[in-house]
Amino acid sequence: MFLALREIRHEKLRYGLIVGMIVLVTYLVFVLSGLAYGLAQQNTQALDTWNASKIALNSDANDSLSQSLITKQTTDKLSLTKHEAYVGQAGVVAKAKGQAKLSAQFLGIQENQFIYHRLTTVAGHKPTTNHQILVDDSFKDNGYRLGDQVTLNSLTGKYQIVGFTHNAKLSVAPVVYGTLPTWRALAHVTSAYQAGGIVSERSTFKGADSSLRTLSLSQFINKLPGYSAQNMTFSFMIGFLMIIAMVVIAVFLYILTMQKLPNYAVLRAQGIPAKVLVTTTITQALLLVVGGLLIGAGLTALTVSVLPFGVPLAFNVPLLVGVTGGILLTGVIGALIPVRIILHVDPVSVIGG
Amino acid sequence: MMPTLALKNVNKTFGHDTNEVQVLTNVNFEAVAGEVSLVIGPSGSGKSTFLTIAGGIQTPTSGEVLVEDRSLLALTGKARDAFRLNQIGFILQAYNLVPYLTVADQFTLVDRVKKQGNLSATELATLLEQLGIAELIQQYPGELSGGQTQRVAIARALYQNPEIILADEPTAALDSDRVKVVGGLLHDLAKQHHKAIVVVTHDLRLQEFADKTYTIMDGHMTLS
Repeated sequence: MFLALREIRHEKLRYGLIVGMIVLVTYLVFVLSGLAYGLAQQNTQALDTWNASKIALNSDANDSLSQSLITKQTTDKLSLTKHEAYVGQAGVVAKAKGQAKLSAQFLGIQENQFIYHRLTTVAGHKPTTNHQILVDDSFKDNGYRLGDQVTLNSLTGKYQIVGFTHNAKLSVAPVVYGTLPTWRALAHVTSAYQAGGIVSERSTFKGADSSLRTLSLSQFINKLPGYSAQNMTFSFMIGFLMIIAMVVIAVFLYILTMQKLPNYAVLRAQGIPAKVLVTTTITQALLLVVGGLLIGAGLTALTVSVLPFGVPLAFNVPLLVGVTGGILLTGVIGALIPVRIILHVDPVSVIGG
Repeated sequence: MMPTLALKNVNKTFGHDTNEVQVLTNVNFEAVAGEVSLVIGPSGSGKSTFLTIAGGIQTPTSGEVLVEDRSLLALTGKARDAFRLNQIGFILQAYNLVPYLTVADQFTLVDRVKKQGNLSATELATLLEQLGIAELIQQYPGELSGGQTQRVAIARALYQNPEIILADEPTAALDSDRVKVVGGLLHDLAKQHHKAIVVVTHDLRLQEFADKTYTIMDGHMTLS
């Protein structure tokens, strides 16, 4: 630690540049991780609040709730319990007088079932009639108010916003909760169709009909349009940035170590154990990475505070711990490359000449 | 008197077969506590190889290196590190000092690694005064002249309070006045502190401070 700190203090510009690089990489990793998590959340927030385990869809729907239709004939054959709930999904454009159009996901649910019971409101109440809707509170941020009369797609009827709910997004669009009859109207299907899917709290649930395919909720989420591709893209970028961080640290420490080899050779000749020099290098790498992480985290926090509301940047403790740990680990791995050179320093090289 | 450092029939060769070069041939050497032993020879005579073998940095191809009658060759790598740290003070020609440590920190580094047996603060202050570098304590090596750097390097080697001091051209960058100071200091250290001091040099000005002088030529060492 002594040598590591003294060298950093003496070579401020040199180490400042390294920290600067790590700050930029760290900042990018934090922001991208936040975006990845935020977008992933906005894909699934509504589903997460249901706390469901399984979903049964029409086997021809390609695991898509919005493409799935389940007939009453089918549901009549199933022995559903209070742990199951019907749901129907339709993409809608909502419009109220004097307000901008909003693209949203309509979810038709049934009043006496568990999804309805699980819904919480931040204002107003849950819908009790076919012409009432409960909407995500991002509607409020876009100027919509309780009591607003909203049109959905080209349906002629008006739907009154009777409540706002928090964290209700599906496929990065705000959710409009309404009734199953409204969903049928939006999906242009008759009452012969009970719902788009059956959601269950039970992990043992299986839609026992050949026309149904039952998926776990995580399987269903991974099949949400664009969800896997988006996550893979972010994972790739974050992974690549971490590799860049590792290479940056390794290259800088390698160059610095090469410059210090004659000094290290003298220290080795004088009996300073290689362990001290190795510890110094790894400590230096950790100090640089920790410094970069702290400044990068500060910059990220600053960015979050000035970003507009709509940018889906979100963090949680496991994510922050994972990203921080990942960058620290790559820093240490980067520092191990010059360590090999230090272990092979030949003190003979500084005697004579 | 038992020699503090002894080399017995030491040979050192580098390379193999047709590329083999014999650098040291049947070298016998003794350094005794309380004496300054000078090893004089031209460039390429084997002085540096002798010094690295005497200091436990290299091993001989054959022969024995004894420190207080204990074989240095029997020690493991770690034990040889500890031996150099505790019993040998090296004064080298170049890169002696860590460039990002102040003069004061050069001694602190020794304290960090070798916790006991170093000079006291008072002894260090006296040493720095003797070498004329007391006022340089907060300077970095890059701010020192060649002579000042070498004197700090000498102080650093002495600070470990070693039994044996191996010096490689310690007066190479010094003027005649400073040579007298350093030569006198090494001589006093040998006499007053009972150190075995080995100086490898081609600086004949140091001969007046030596108790005995070895000459090395083409790997053969003779006691003058």
